[in-house]
Amino acid sequence: MYRQAKYDEPLLFELSKKGRRAHLPPRCDFSRDDINIPENMRRTVPPELPELHEGEVMRHYVHLSHQNYCIDTGTYPLGSCTMKYNPKINETVARMEKIMYLHPNQPVETVQGILEILYELQVALGELAGMKHTTLQTPAGASGEYCGLALIKAYHEDHGDTQRDEIIAPDSSHGTNPASTVMNGMKLIEIKSNEDGRVNMDALKAAVSDKTAGLMLTNPNTLGIFEKDIIEMSRIVKEAGGLLYYDGANFNAIVGKIRPGDMGYDVLHFNLHKTFSTPHGGGGPGSAAVCCNDLLEPYLPVPTIEYDKDKDFYFYNHDRPKSIGKVHGYHGNAAIALRAYAYIGALGFQGLKDTAEHAVLTANYGMRKLEKLDGFRLSHTSEIPRKHEGVLEATPFLRNYDVSGMDIAKMIISRGLHAPTVYFPLIAHEAWMFEPTENENKDRIDQYVQAVSEEMEKAKVDPDYAHDAPKWTSVGRIDSAWSVRNLVLSYKIYKEKKEKGEFVP
Amino acid sequence: MKEGFKEHPYLGNSQQDVDEMLQYLGLKSIEELYSDIPDEIRFKGKLDLPHYKSEYELLEAIKAKMSKNITTREVRSFMGGGVLDIYMPALQDEVLRRTEFYSAYTPYQPETSQGTTQALFEYQSMICELVGMNVANCSLYDWATAVGEAALMASRITKRYKFIYTAATAPNREAVLKNYVVGANLELEEIPYDPTTGKMNIAEAKAKMDDTVAGIYIENPNFLGVIEDGLEEIIADAHEKGVKVVIGADMNSLALMKPPGEYGADICIGEGQTIGGGPLNFGGPLLGILAMQFDRRETRQMPGRIVGVTITSNEGERAFANTLETREQHIKRERATSNICTNEGLVALSCAIHLALLGPEGYKDTAETMYLSAHYLVKELEKIGVKRVFNGEFFNTFILDLKIPESKKQEFINFMLERKIFPGIPYSNDGENYDYIVTTSYLLCEEDLNDYAKAIGEWRK
Repeated sequence: MYRQAKYDEPLLFELSKKGRRAHLPPRCDFSRDDINIPENMRRTVPPELPELHEGEVMRHYVHLSHQNYCIDTGTYPLGSCTMKYNPKINETVARMEKIMYLHPNQPVETVQGILEILYELQVALGELAGMKHTTLQTPAGASGEYCGLALIKAYHEDHGDTQRDEIIAPDSSHGTNPASTVMNGMKLIEIKSNEDGRVNMDALKAAVSDKTAGLMLTNPNTLGIFEKDIIEMSRIVKEAGGLLYYDGANFNAIVGKIRPGDMGYDVLHFNLHKTFSTPHGGGGPGSAAVCCNDLLEPYLPVPTIEYDKDKDFYFYNHDRPKSIGKVHGYHGNAAIALRAYAYIGALGFQGLKDTAEHAVLTANYGMRKLEKLDGFRLSHTSEIPRKHEGVLEATPFLRNYDVSGMDIAKMIISRGLHAPTVYFPLIAHEAWMFEPTENENKDRIDQYVQAVSEEMEKAKVDPDYAHDAPKWTSVGRIDSAWSVRNLVLSYKIYKEKKEKGEFVP
Repeated sequence: MKEGFKEHPYLGNSQQDVDEMLQYLGLKSIEELYSDIPDEIRFKGKLDLPHYKSEYELLEAIKAKMSKNITTREVRSFMGGGVLDIYMPALQDEVLRRTEFYSAYTPYQPETSQGTTQALFEYQSMICELVGMNVANCSLYDWATAVGEAALMASRITKRYKFIYTAATAPNREAVLKNYVVGANLELEEIPYDPTTGKMNIAEAKAKMDDTVAGIYIENPNFLGVIEDGLEEIIADAHEKGVKVVIGADMNSLALMKPPGEYGADICIGEGQTIGGGPLNFGGPLLGILAMQFDRRETRQMPGRIVGVTITSNEGERAFANTLETREQHIKRERATSNICTNEGLVALSCAIHLALLGPEGYKDTAETMYLSAHYLVKELEKIGVKRVFNGEFFNTFILDLKIPESKKQEFINFMLERKIFPGIPYSNDGENYDYIVTTSYLLCEEDLNDYAKAIGEWRK
């Protein structure tokens, strides 16, 4: 039996009462009378921040935390998100004073420890990528994509191929792929996938031209299917003068088993918050690494972190005339990179490879069990083994019982489990994208499938039960259309509407 | 050579589980699940990576490496530039270490993520209070990428392709701006500042604005530490010409300074690390703040996630959920307002907790201390004949006229390090001589300020 906490927790502002204090910061003894901001720039009305007692702040956030599902609550099989357990030692190392209190502009001789770790992480990730060069400046996966594509663009421009402004990507790609392409001022050429979910080779051949900048492809793809023709694709794209970008969102499937560099890729990004276990934080911070081969190395963001072996000294290299510049104000999310470093250290070369194998095993096991449920089918083909994730379609269930993939997802939430990624990729219908990761054990997967089965049986008898799900969560089924129509985006707007007598919940 | 292991704490399944799953799948080994992958691309070598470490060994190994760092708690920091050493109250990390927050995903299933969504709504609302606007998104990566995103947003709103900014913009933020606008083909132009005051040249700014300009970016106080004036005049002119005004604000300064929304700015950006987003962490993770005045059309051009209030299937129930998602990449793909997906959610939560702890009084206290410390220090330095480079009014940052030649720079750094001082961020106009950008946090006490002035005096001898 599962019941999520429900508190009807007021907003901090609604808990506030004038004059309460929650914290006393250090305060100097200089006379306040000496403050003299030019009159036209002086603040006259203080911001309406909440005024609370310390214990009240804690209680508020404890209440909120109870209304959150997390990886340590239960199974969280979001496809393409790689919700793996966040080892607690990672949090411990990230709270060392020796990382927390480092200013990014400190003299280089005072930050040798963190530079050593970042450098070693660059080398380790490069080894897994099968590429020699790495930057950690990119603070998230999308930033990694943006940076990697910028390298490709810079390469072509440097070689006088300024007309190469097309990135080819299959229709199964992550939404960030087309968005990052456009942010780089390039055009997206979307190619259709085959019935078996793989890239259509004829479509690829037809798409390449002297305008091709590159092919952007995650492998295994978002259906969890390995693009076995990657070598042929690589040949086609390279003969046309393009380069290959590997979207590392799905790298957990192949860690230590296959290296993108060996598949012909020129550049990639890894999501450290997926494959390398750093927390998702309710939306971030993540961190990415971009690895590339010699062709693209000259264009990496500045500064690069390098090592002088003779002097045993780590340093920044700003002297990189062909660099694309900077993609982050400083060196990226260093404290996240440190967690990833700890993760790699804890597993070692053997453990890393094992995680990939176990992730693929649990995904196939769970998916094959779900596939057998009345109302689900595996998307595209059932023949090919999936890798770290698989996509089921709830189309038969919708057709036969008027209960959608989203409804089933919401029913699962009622059971104290988390839904898979729903309605993605777009080339699948009523998609249920399932990625349990190597952390979920067989018992948990069995329980999950059992819960899905039971909920679907209930829905067959009573479709309204499904339409009203979830039950037992902090709040009922969200009406997101209302939020878009009314756009209550801050407490200020909320208050104004209330004062005007408009309806707000 | 260490022996390998069969089971590992990070793997959920034992060999028995593996065997049972394989049996269910009708397979002999996991390898068979990779059988569709061509042999020629399989990696058959041994990864050049170390063996696994026990948790204890790992901790000690990382500690040993990190011990080579010297922190801002061992050496007194006068460095700012966009990030700042702050104190995080004990309560803050107590909340941040709650796994319910940090190990949750983006709240795509809001019914079971009300902790995250409500906390982010509160964050957005508090940012609105600081900047005097009524919409804020729930984070970008950092201030630098926020400049880039703001430029692109101004261009989308105005459908214009030129963006101007003051030369008193931090070089790292300028570098990211230059990078971000390449794709959209925005032309950039710089507005000079007055060499005496450090303030933007208002006449030049006005002259550069016309109906081809999408937006103007002004940092206030600017990177030189100087408080701009004449902003109302520039903003009036900008609005007449249909130019969007983006203010980059030092978020601590807003406790004492007029919020950009109040003097007419359209968009406000800044760095949230300095108001509680987190410790310095060597410059990341940070927290890019982005706020604007609500406009039914223009707000749809905002990048990043936004949480809004909404209703549920239970009558009268209030809930919070991501809204306006059709701006975002997972739905709009190549037509999204930005490619941003993972943002800095937990850092935004951290910032919200910090502001809730400070309250309006604490927020003002910290800003006053920063202001007064900087002004006290300037007076002490003036007593020994060391001046500021620019004479404009300032908040907690100023540039100290030291003119240290390149050849002496390392010596100066070492000299100050011996006195346990990080003297600031080196700043050079000519690439040969260095002044220092000095910033005071609220963690420095009077003795630290006196020691700084004394050290500079000794150096000059």
